[in-house]
Amino acid sequence: MNQRILTLTAYLFRSLLFSLAGLLYILVALAFYLVLFEPRQHTPDVDYYFLVLGIFGLALSFLATLSVSSRANKAEQFPLLVRLPSRVEYLTAAMLASILFAFLLQIGIALLAKFVNGPVLDIQQVLVILPVWLAIDILFVVLALHATDLVALGWSRVYIYGALGFLLYLQNGNALIRDWLAGMFRDLGASMLGRGLDGLSAIAYDLSSWLSTTGANLINQIFGLVFWPFSAITNAAVSGSFTLSQALAPAIILLYATGLFILAATLFSKKDLFLTE
Amino acid sequence: MLEISHVTKRYHNLLAVNDISLQLRQGEVIGLLGPNGAGKTTLFKLIAGLLFPDSGMVLTNSKEWPMIGYKPERLLFPGSMRVGQYLSMVANLANLPKSQMESTIRLSLEQVNLSYAAEKRIKDCSKGMRQRLGLAQSMIGNPPLLLLDEPSNGLDPEGQAEICRQIKSLHEQGKTIILASHQLHEVTQVCTHLVILNNGSIHYENSMKDALAERPHSTITCNRSVEPLRLLLENLHPDIDVGETSVVLNYEAILLRPRVIGILLASGYDIVRVEQRRVSLAEIYAEAVQ
Repeated sequence: MNQRILTLTAYLFRSLLFSLAGLLYILVALAFYLVLFEPRQHTPDVDYYFLVLGIFGLALSFLATLSVSSRANKAEQFPLLVRLPSRVEYLTAAMLASILFAFLLQIGIALLAKFVNGPVLDIQQVLVILPVWLAIDILFVVLALHATDLVALGWSRVYIYGALGFLLYLQNGNALIRDWLAGMFRDLGASMLGRGLDGLSAIAYDLSSWLSTTGANLINQIFGLVFWPFSAITNAAVSGSFTLSQALAPAIILLYATGLFILAATLFSKKDLFLTE
Repeated sequence: MLEISHVTKRYHNLLAVNDISLQLRQGEVIGLLGPNGAGKTTLFKLIAGLLFPDSGMVLTNSKEWPMIGYKPERLLFPGSMRVGQYLSMVANLANLPKSQMESTIRLSLEQVNLSYAAEKRIKDCSKGMRQRLGLAQSMIGNPPLLLLDEPSNGLDPEGQAEICRQIKSLHEQGKTIILASHQLHEVTQVCTHLVILNNGSIHYENSMKDALAERPHSTITCNRSVEPLRLLLENLHPDIDVGETSVVLNYEAILLRPRVIGILLASGYDIVRVEQRRVSLAEIYAEAVQ
């Protein structure tokens, strides 16, 4: 299995690296470096270095995955696919090739930004930065897989990105949703009161008033928990060190990535492969 | 080896494969014939596990799913790779040990007469070379089941003969092969079984031997119209067909040939030609797809 996955990873990686898209990503990365880490400017702070290159890595991971997946989704891969005992091996290779491409380019730019008038990093900082970047890259590679024709099955990408958008919307504490929920419970209470269900009506009214006041904050916090690892990493980068709980953030991100990859593998295993010519 | 049981596959409103059942036995070479759009490639993809049936099943009687070598109809390869490099990748996917890899690649290239092109980039290869490469990659790793979709399409007569020899050799090695082709002579030469698809359904299925032994007939051609003797001849046997200047004796009616010739000669006819033949694959095909 390892031999097959490594072979396919190398093949997909090479196919992106030696393509126009690959060259474009390298040029964009260099342009990014010149704009955001201009060597003649003052030395960037460590937190700036950490966050800006982290965001660059996640964007690159997403884009590289789209490119690798479009190559993996070509009909020329049919003879290779039938050789595999499990399709998951193929998806794993596509994921690894994307991670490898994005992470290596991210490291390349990071080294350039470090050694040309860059910040002074001690070994401890390096040992913290790299796993955090890698964890975020992996998550965005897996997330991008769900956006591709290779993995998407029916409306799956709409559901996944819709759910993600909904969670983002809720965690921002939008008053619209809060008011809508409160209004719904208020109407429900009125309707129950009309039918003589006084007890249930009182509960619905209580819920409505709770949502209008303290409940809304609690809901925001619950949904905000989903995105806690990202805020934890940002806070840690700004403060310059990770607390014990913040140090868990990359692990939780990897947990999300694992869940999303299992979902991607399930979708990919169940779908008809109409690869493009 | 494999059993295809009541498999149906639809593409939206198009019924690509309709309730097909087929047994693939070890060592058989099945010729899959049918017009374009008959469902051959869909059936291949269902067997290869690239598509899933809407209903029915593709089953195997062995513990593990057999390794499959697939040569698709379309000759699509990563153009920037070299021929040898591509085969080396396929060999890796077939889990060949490093020690055997080089010899296997060399052998597969020799088998399809492509040794001279090992270092050539695939994008620089001709259609014939790609066709050979498609066959070479499908043979790597010694898969027991080969799915060959039009392997000799686009090859010159010499190349087609070479592919036929290769398939025969694979058959002798005990491989199970499904061969989709529009080249009827190729199917006649190499296949042990014949399946004709049309509109997604099997319209004809038989062993090649029995298919070609079907409907033996004898044609007696005369120098002028035999119409005046139609009633007399057709009353001799229901399998006698009377044409303009010929009399065709089908199946057991062949046994009446001396008697029919006697009647014709006695009626003053000259016998121009007497032919004894069996039905051809082209005739079976034409009848099945009509």
